[in-house]
Amino acid sequence: MGFTPYDWNENIQHRVDYVETRLREGSPVVGLTFSSGVLILSVRRTQRKVFEVFDHILYSAMGSQSDVEAIRIASIDFAHQEGFNRSPDDVSVQRMVAGLSPTLKKAFTDGFSAPFIFRGLFAELGREPGRDGFTTLGYDGDYAVHSTYAAVAGSSEAERKMNELLSGGGSDRLPLPDALRLGIRAWAAGRAAVAGAGFTRDEGEEHAPEAAPEAVLSKALEDGSVEVGTLERQGPLVRFRILPPGDAVEAVQDILHKIP
Amino acid sequence: MTIPRPGDFLDLLHRSGHSFAAPFAADPSFATALHPPKPPVVPVETHGTTVIAVKYDGGVLNVGDRRATANNAIVYDRAEKVIALDDHCLISISGSYARSLEVIRYLRSSFKYYSRTQLQEMSLDGKLNELSRIIAGNLSSAMQGIGLFIPVLSAYDMERGEGRIFFYDGMGARFETDEFAAAGSGSERIRGSFDYIVRAKGPFRRMTLEQALCEALILMDIAADLDSATGGYNKILPVAKTVSADGITDISEEQIRDLADRVS
Repeated sequence: MGFTPYDWNENIQHRVDYVETRLREGSPVVGLTFSSGVLILSVRRTQRKVFEVFDHILYSAMGSQSDVEAIRIASIDFAHQEGFNRSPDDVSVQRMVAGLSPTLKKAFTDGFSAPFIFRGLFAELGREPGRDGFTTLGYDGDYAVHSTYAAVAGSSEAERKMNELLSGGGSDRLPLPDALRLGIRAWAAGRAAVAGAGFTRDEGEEHAPEAAPEAVLSKALEDGSVEVGTLERQGPLVRFRILPPGDAVEAVQDILHKIP
Repeated sequence: MTIPRPGDFLDLLHRSGHSFAAPFAADPSFATALHPPKPPVVPVETHGTTVIAVKYDGGVLNVGDRRATANNAIVYDRAEKVIALDDHCLISISGSYARSLEVIRYLRSSFKYYSRTQLQEMSLDGKLNELSRIIAGNLSSAMQGIGLFIPVLSAYDMERGEGRIFFYDGMGARFETDEFAAAGSGSERIRGSFDYIVRAKGPFRRMTLEQALCEALILMDIAADLDSATGGYNKILPVAKTVSADGITDISEEQIRDLADRVS
């Protein structure tokens, strides 16, 4: 049996369909800068979603848990080798994703290996305000660099809606609680975009009515919680912390009060 | 057979037929005395000098003078010898400054790497063992006369709710102390003074931070008086840090200056 020139294209399309379908129901991830640092947030169920990679780098992702973990460990390995062999100043997300990208691309295009089910987001705290960065990395190795916010979600349409909401937020001037509210609203918008009125759209229901973001958020928090990781500038120190669950509760309540 | 050397007078006499010189010229020990072998070239190492760790009622206080020396030369008088390894571990270093800083860089990276990959802090015992392993691995270098360093590690044990002090020997053996530890060239000179303070004024662990800092500054001053490599506090103030349940805290220069003036 031989391969025709079309088999490769078809194989790739099958892989795209497979990965996109698996990612569709994942919990979106939002990254944004605020007045004194950067944050990444998502809604989690049982597993942690937001991680510290290096002194000034945060990471979160959606997808298969093992793939999310493999990329996390690879990122930490790269950052620590580079940080030890040269200097922490030489560790950047740009260099990190440039190193990870070919591996993802190879797994995606190689018909004999499983593609990564993965869509990730890195946040990098700059030395001073205005120099923060956010980088998204996809299962096919494509990556994109953003300045003040970024989002990954179950579909490109969902990401578009999240970015639209974040772009008008002016988060770089907001204190943490306000940035938190903006981030949670963006998460809900992204999740709602892939969820129908019954909170899960079936295949072929692209035109089914979208659920209200607040309702989707309320439903998601029945068995999940908002996880927020921050990196803040505190004088010469940078501190990573996962916010206590209570910090997000107030922001969530503000948003949910809009439900009639 | 004696190998003739240019300019060797005894050898010249021997070759000229003066037999009385032969026994001397043929004697290898005599030749060695005339031409002693050159000692191997050992790089001059910069050494940190005196560091002190004492408990107080909230944790552990570390004080280190700022002097770094190479043989009898003062290389640097603003050396940092009390350094945070993480939020609840302080290391005070004496001996080879280059090796110490490299080890600290490694330990900091190692502890961070562990906590980031494993999503939990490395245990205190794990951290102490890692330091032991490094000191033991450094032994062959230390035996050759370079790279020997002796640290004192102070930690706040969150599980026990108390400050703890550990010191090491050159082979990596770890010892825990109840009250105090010191390392470096001035430490032996003041060892008895620690015991005197404990007997005369009570245990360090019951002292306030201010009392403990006063005692540590006096000890540092005595070490500087008795050990030429120790900087003391008259010219450059020592560095002082605490490790407690709240983490690592730098004691301000103003506070150290104020207390140093009082105990002078």
